[in-house]
Amino acid sequence: MSQPLLRVENLRTHLFLKRGVVRAVDGVNLHVDAGETLGVVGESGSGKSMTSLSIMRLLPKQSGRIVEGSIWVDGIDLTTLSEEEMARDWRGRRVSMVSQDPMTSLNPVFTVGDQVGAPFRYHRLAQGARAVRAAAVKVLRRVRIPSPEKRLDDYPHQFSGGMRQRVVAAMAIACAPRLLIADEPTSNLDVTIQVQMIELFRELQRDSALGIILITHDLGVAASICNRVAVMYAGRVVEVGDVRTIYRNAAHPYTQALLNAIPHLGQKRKRLHAIGGQPPSLIDPPVGCRFAARCARRTAQCEAQYPPEVELAPGHKVACWLPGPEAR
Amino acid sequence: MLLEVRDLKKHFRVGGGLLQAGGTVRAVDGLGFSVDVGETVALVGESGCGKTTIAKMVLMLERPTEGAILFEGRDLAGLSGADLKAYRRHVQAVFQDPYASLNPRLRVRTIIAEPILAHERPDRAALRRRVEEVLDVVGLPATAADLFPHEFSGGQRQRIAIARALAVNPRCIVLDEPISALDVSIRAQILNLLADIQERFRLAYLIIAHDLALVEHFSTRVGVMYLGNMVEAGPTEEVFARPRHPYTQALLASVPRPDPDHRPPLDAIRGEIASALAPPPGCKFHPRCPRAVERCAIEPPAWRSLGRGHAGACHLAEAT
Repeated sequence: MSQPLLRVENLRTHLFLKRGVVRAVDGVNLHVDAGETLGVVGESGSGKSMTSLSIMRLLPKQSGRIVEGSIWVDGIDLTTLSEEEMARDWRGRRVSMVSQDPMTSLNPVFTVGDQVGAPFRYHRLAQGARAVRAAAVKVLRRVRIPSPEKRLDDYPHQFSGGMRQRVVAAMAIACAPRLLIADEPTSNLDVTIQVQMIELFRELQRDSALGIILITHDLGVAASICNRVAVMYAGRVVEVGDVRTIYRNAAHPYTQALLNAIPHLGQKRKRLHAIGGQPPSLIDPPVGCRFAARCARRTAQCEAQYPPEVELAPGHKVACWLPGPEAR
Repeated sequence: MLLEVRDLKKHFRVGGGLLQAGGTVRAVDGLGFSVDVGETVALVGESGCGKTTIAKMVLMLERPTEGAILFEGRDLAGLSGADLKAYRRHVQAVFQDPYASLNPRLRVRTIIAEPILAHERPDRAALRRRVEEVLDVVGLPATAADLFPHEFSGGQRQRIAIARALAVNPRCIVLDEPISALDVSIRAQILNLLADIQERFRLAYLIIAHDLALVEHFSTRVGVMYLGNMVEAGPTEEVFARPRHPYTQALLASVPRPDPDHRPPLDAIRGEIASALAPPPGCKFHPRCPRAVERCAIEPPAWRSLGRGHAGACHLAEAT
């Protein structure tokens, strides 16, 4: 096996707040191969966004800090780089990110051409106004913006929501990065536009060996794009595996509960299986399994000790004392 | 019929500056539906289809430009005094974002007591009992009454918003995207709670949502909206099993499913929703419709019955 594109090892990212230290990411291991999409699924507060901000080294300046672990890309540990190195050679260049809200990730007072051209100017990949424009047109065409040369001088508000998200995607892939992190890229979009975005991501990947991390709480979106899925809960990855394994043979009770807790089209059920209670506080997380308090299978052991990660099948790993199919 | 909406229209005037002519946004452009006692009617559609404007008119936060809303057979436009007050009591609302819909400066007790005090003058003990009663119905302890909204999680806040709506014994609750701001693992709790409350108090729900799986699960009847018009309506099971309008078909086909082997078709629908400022002529959906014929661009399709309680507005509905 060759080296994966990205390997996150035992990452711990904590937020140092007035009310205490929030262990937002608390021992996460992940890898992404070139050309694959890893879905990171979890609720708000599960640490999925903090994991991606750690990789981008865009944590809140005052409070956020990587306290342990490494993030390897191309044999370099990103956690050891200075901010200058990160900005010059990595961020936007080799690793880039699309964030959730296309309204706020574009500057309303600059034209789209200015903004899509910015990464080329910053990383000196195109010299001179004409070359930057040409590069911007090319990348806008890649994300399927119709007649891009005519739209360069338009402002973001002149684009529809779906087109704006395409512009943001164009900025992210402008420098042909190796890794793209997409944080809820479709969640504010209508379903008919969502389908188009999902297809765009697939196309981008087909044309290059781009590795994608897709962060989402939508299990439907994850199923339709990802090769593998990692399920996060309370700062840790509780289960990871091939997309079919996760959706057909989930072994962690939380993954199973998540799949049962939302209505799925065409599977009408009388009542949804609600997951009782709420996720634990990450300021003072429980010593045992973090899902134990809400888990139907819990035993004394679950509450006493965090379960070790076991590999049930090649690539299918789960952190649970009692992994296996749902009890019927 | 508890609530009936007839040929409702809401047009907004926009723009009209120094150099620009103004325009009219036809947010709701002539549609009708009804909600009966104890049932759940859902309005679905993409953003901009006018579903929230309808909710606002039902809640009397906006006045219709044309058409009528009837409650127990009486037109809201003609209500005044005690009748108007009674209507406002009978129709309550739960909004999408429980972080925005609860006043952060008030204790939960005051939040829930507010609508009660707007309608009656109970003594202190009776008010206290009533607040604790509705808190119990939504699964919160009586001690919650003395706390502030920020001391609760999103799911608990939505329970408080539901308690506030229930406090005045309404007949109908308008639910505007009631779970979409909540975490996945919390959504089922709230949906199950809403279902229990409905059964217990024989409430009617008018739910506004864009999540089709939720609508299929939760509603008894559904109306699919596009650019201010209803394009298809009927019993939820029937509409979801046999969608007849190409827009409904496209919406249903586009929903990503938690099945790695399901691929939403790409040709189900083209482009994006048109502007309500300048809607396309004929059938408003025709520029995006995969089956559009010449007639669709010229003549707006009439609303007609398609059998089994199912109705729609499409020239080609028979052909399906």
